Amino acid sequence: MLGGRRTRGERMPRGFLIALAAKNLARHKRRTLITASAIAFGVAIFVAMSSLLEGFAAENNRNVSRYETGDAAATAPGYWDERETLPLDRVIETPQEILEALEREGIPAAPRVAFRGELIVRYDPFPEDGSIQRTFYGIDVERDPEVFGLSEAIVEGRFPHAGQEEVVIGRWLAERLGAEIGYPISVTTRTRDGFHQIMDLEIVGIFNTSNPILNRYQAFLPIGVADEYLEMRGAVTSIHMSLPGTLPSEADTEPVREVLSDFDHVEFLSFERLNEEFAEIMEMENASNAIILLLLGLIAVVGISNTMLMSVLERENEIGMMRAMGFRNGEIRSMFAYEAAGIGLIGAIGGVALGSVLVWLSVSYGLDYGVLMDGAEMDFRFDGVLYGVWNVPTMVASAAFAVVLAGVVAIVPTRRILRRSITDSLRHA
Amino acid sequence: MITVHEVHKDYIDGETRVHALRGVSMDIDSGEFLSIAGPSGSGKTTLLNIIGCIDTADAGDIDIDGERVAGRSKRELTEMRRQKIGFVFQNFNLIPVLTAYENVSMSLSLLGVSQEETQERTMGLLAEVGLEGMEHRRPSRLSGGQQQRVAVARALIKDPLIVLADEPTANLDSETGEAILELMKDVNRRRGTTFVFSTHDHMVMDYAARLCRLHDGLIESDERRSA
Repeated sequence: MLGGRRTRGERMPRGFLIALAAKNLARHKRRTLITASAIAFGVAIFVAMSSLLEGFAAENNRNVSRYETGDAAATAPGYWDERETLPLDRVIETPQEILEALEREGIPAAPRVAFRGELIVRYDPFPEDGSIQRTFYGIDVERDPEVFGLSEAIVEGRFPHAGQEEVVIGRWLAERLGAEIGYPISVTTRTRDGFHQIMDLEIVGIFNTSNPILNRYQAFLPIGVADEYLEMRGAVTSIHMSLPGTLPSEADTEPVREVLSDFDHVEFLSFERLNEEFAEIMEMENASNAIILLLLGLIAVVGISNTMLMSVLERENEIGMMRAMGFRNGEIRSMFAYEAAGIGLIGAIGGVALGSVLVWLSVSYGLDYGVLMDGAEMDFRFDGVLYGVWNVPTMVASAAFAVVLAGVVAIVPTRRILRRSITDSLRHA
Repeated sequence: MITVHEVHKDYIDGETRVHALRGVSMDIDSGEFLSIAGPSGSGKTTLLNIIGCIDTADAGDIDIDGERVAGRSKRELTEMRRQKIGFVFQNFNLIPVLTAYENVSMSLSLLGVSQEETQERTMGLLAEVGLEGMEHRRPSRLSGGQQQRVAVARALIKDPLIVLADEPTANLDSETGEAILELMKDVNRRRGTTFVFSTHDHMVMDYAARLCRLHDGLIESDERRSA
């Protein structure tokens, strides 16, 4: 009686189920498009936000490395943990030996003396009297440009000369003080031994870096002048190094570690350590990004789930027929999962396309926070225009996530309908 | 070929227990053209569903092709339907996004039949049921009668042990209904396919070679006639 070729337990070809799912997608084009649009919106926002966040992190790292810390640093043990107070009792007493050792290894390095002081300006030539607390750095004007980009950021005047009582300040600060080249300032501070000290300096240069922390809060003078006024006796608070690569790897830092291992009372600080505050901020940013992703995912889940529920309920009779014909529940589940994944795919393609446009805009033109940031307190190292970066893996991952999520979401409504008896489904009008 | 033995089935309708089948027994031989007739609520659809393994009996048993149905898992019942049973539904139940060809060939996809054989068998069968040239039409572009022909072809394509048709002409006008019955009868004669169909329509009953009347869940009469 049984004719034809057949095999027991044969599996329905996946190609047929995918083709059927694709055809089913076209049944309710508008509904498919609306759901896919919600997914596209989520994917696009995520892609654009990731691009900006990554651009933000890259810009921050670049600005920290180029203007504040270098790629690695050495301090006296414990100095970095107390850096908020800029202690002058935790110093490297013999920096010259370390600098020479680093030089022998071909590692560019520059010493700095960091201290806090009250910057005082007086009426005439300044528009008014006043004072403001700022962080000052004594820098080695010869070595500093080998590690930092400050000398290239001078927009007015010049870089200070060694041994001269000169200072360079940021343009943001200069504008607010009404300072110009040649104006005198006074700085009150305390010496290494804790005595009050006052320094008279001349503004010889105004810089404008892409790091607003420098532009607003920091001023730089020759290290010899700082040494003399602060009675450092040749000691420095830190030595900064330039290493190959944007973010030096463990292997890049190895020669530095080796050099420093010959010296007592010196602590090596990797870029990760130097930048750990920002890394913590980025972790929080990433966490908030994850929450946004979760919310967008939730919108997509509700949308797909609703669409698939409607789809499944409308086709209950058809599902009953398919089960009667011998379709396995798994095959029907797969068909609906492919269908939902198809909606996810349309949404993902649309989302990546829209996201790419947003990323292109952010890479080309950036997002200008300048007006918002101008008067605000600044913790981040970017100068107001936030540029995105292209991140293809994130785009691919978010698209894949949307497709998989959509496919998985379809399981719930399909399972609900498959729990009903075939006869009940067939009776469904 | 199929033995139905003392089958009972109850339904709960609200707070009332409905005895749909109250001990039905019958044998169905290969090549029969059997009509299960009776008024609405007599239990004919329930009996067809149980024979078709899409519903289970509360008591009693069914043997299909020597295999006991009782105690089988859902998966085993699915395999049995997939391999051995064809269905024709009252409202055709074609998949609207598939063409006539695809609706029919789908059954062969389930069995893993090669594409060449699928094409050969599907085209042959569509021609046999009078749908030559309409293979690429979707159900919306077919009349009710043509749709039911597609449904008949879909049931037949896998060469099933039995084709179960629940009121196959109920949604068709009498002329189209008769044409469908002629088609089924013709297939039964030429291929020897076993057909079991339910009806309450006297015109349809007249086509049956064997007429089994159900009343209140019991077989009232079972007569074999020359068609």
